[in-house]
Amino acid sequence: MSTTPVIEVDRLNLTYGDFPAVRDLSFEVRPGELYALLGTNGAGKTSTLEVVEGHRAPTSGTVRVFGHGPRDRRSVRPRMGVMLQESGFSPDLTVRESVGLIGRLSGRSDDVDRVIDLVDLTDRAGRRVSQLSGGEKRRLDFATAVYGTPELIVLDEPTTGLDIQTRDAVWATVDRLRENGATIVLTTHYLEEAQQRADRIGLMHQGTLDREGTVSELTRSLPAVIQFSLAEPVPVLPRHLVVDADGKVVIETFALQKDLHALLGWAQDHAVELRDLQAGPTRLDDVFRAITR
Amino acid sequence: MLPIASSELIQILRNRLVLVTSLIIPFAVSALFVRQHEVFADIGSLGYIAAIVMFTVAAFGLYATAVTTLASRRQNLFLKRLRSTAVADSTILAGLLLPPTTIAVVQVAAILTALAVVAGGPANVALLVLAVIATLAMMIALALATAGLTNSPEHAQVTTLPVTLGVIAVATWVGIAGTENLAWLKRLLPGGAATELAGNAWNGGVAVTDSLLLLAPTLGWVAVAVALATRLFRWEPRR
Repeated sequence: MSTTPVIEVDRLNLTYGDFPAVRDLSFEVRPGELYALLGTNGAGKTSTLEVVEGHRAPTSGTVRVFGHGPRDRRSVRPRMGVMLQESGFSPDLTVRESVGLIGRLSGRSDDVDRVIDLVDLTDRAGRRVSQLSGGEKRRLDFATAVYGTPELIVLDEPTTGLDIQTRDAVWATVDRLRENGATIVLTTHYLEEAQQRADRIGLMHQGTLDREGTVSELTRSLPAVIQFSLAEPVPVLPRHLVVDADGKVVIETFALQKDLHALLGWAQDHAVELRDLQAGPTRLDDVFRAITR
Repeated sequence: MLPIASSELIQILRNRLVLVTSLIIPFAVSALFVRQHEVFADIGSLGYIAAIVMFTVAAFGLYATAVTTLASRRQNLFLKRLRSTAVADSTILAGLLLPPTTIAVVQVAAILTALAVVAGGPANVALLVLAVIATLAMMIALALATAGLTNSPEHAQVTTLPVTLGVIAVATWVGIAGTENLAWLKRLLPGGAATELAGNAWNGGVAVTDSLLLLAPTLGWVAVAVALATRLFRWEPRR
């Protein structure tokens, strides 16, 4: 497989009037990887994707997709499927007509009914888009993105508004596409989806890329937390432990297993009851909260 | 282009409001002019009837429908969806505008043929065809420019009024009063020269070379409208 980046973003800036939506953003997406672009509302994720999709011209900086400018539709679009954040289908066309139209215009070929079946809309194929629920519209959107099995698929909040079964079905399809070598770029508000599936994550905040790396690289930068409460004062508390007014103890550690083992040993030796004991590795949520603090 | 055009035709046929405004109203108004051609010929001429029919279809059938369609497709992000595909912007616009343009051409041809059958045909068919083509080109260009100022299909009911009423008023003024007085003003107004050209083509009596000069102001309006559309047209709703 080629190692040339599928997407190259170099010092991208995008402003709306005086408002800088994206500031000096650089990142690459490698062939076959699932790259998740995460961030708070207004962090600049969708603006960045819109430049990558060719919907918006950068104020400065360069973006290349498969080595081409993203606005070179003839070169880029047949290799790239896009799931927009908002629907964008004509309410008066049916599901089958919508998939057929957008599919044909994508420059890829596929069996319309196969794609409709893939997103479980076969029984809605003859219905107009105006008669679909929000979740069904998202599935229709996903269908047009994966039509013709493109090499690159951009998914802007693909599972928002979907029930858990449909969400699983969407991810199963994405997994199959990845097995065939597809590259995925994802934005989502469901951090657990990114944590489970992304090869690398870019965390955006206020238009810039605050951090980037694998889940373990990102979480490694923050300590894990052990917390418990003490039922009664303890005469021989280890000196680095601080008990707050409610009797709660919070330990931040970069060596969770070792320190938890030591804590349990200490509690055993001194017959101390650790109430509501909780311990866990750093999660993406914690990193996310840390950058927005 | 053809897949977009065929989907657009399906949408027109499924939308009763668009169907009524783009097909039935222009046809009904034009049918009235043809049926009462003797009355209107006394007021103006048969050429005036041909011009007013042409502008009724071009304004209500083509221009208003095109503005409404573009505003609607932009509002529901259908334009953005189409731009996510491999086709060029020009192909998208051509596909969206082909059905209302084809419908307008068929309507004008049918109504003018009916007028020719009941009242006698035009003196110069080729000149009449040129007048129709120039008029439709002007109205399409004006539609693209107006669509840039139109936020929604509902808003189109307001934004299309100046041009629709304006060209009908100019066509009526030129068709009834002629161009003996204020000739330059009448010819420079949108629709004025095209009305005179259609009148000359139907009534005859004017040298073809003199009539052909009347294409210039209409083509000038096409250029102005395209320039405006280039600046004003938007593919996505305003943020």
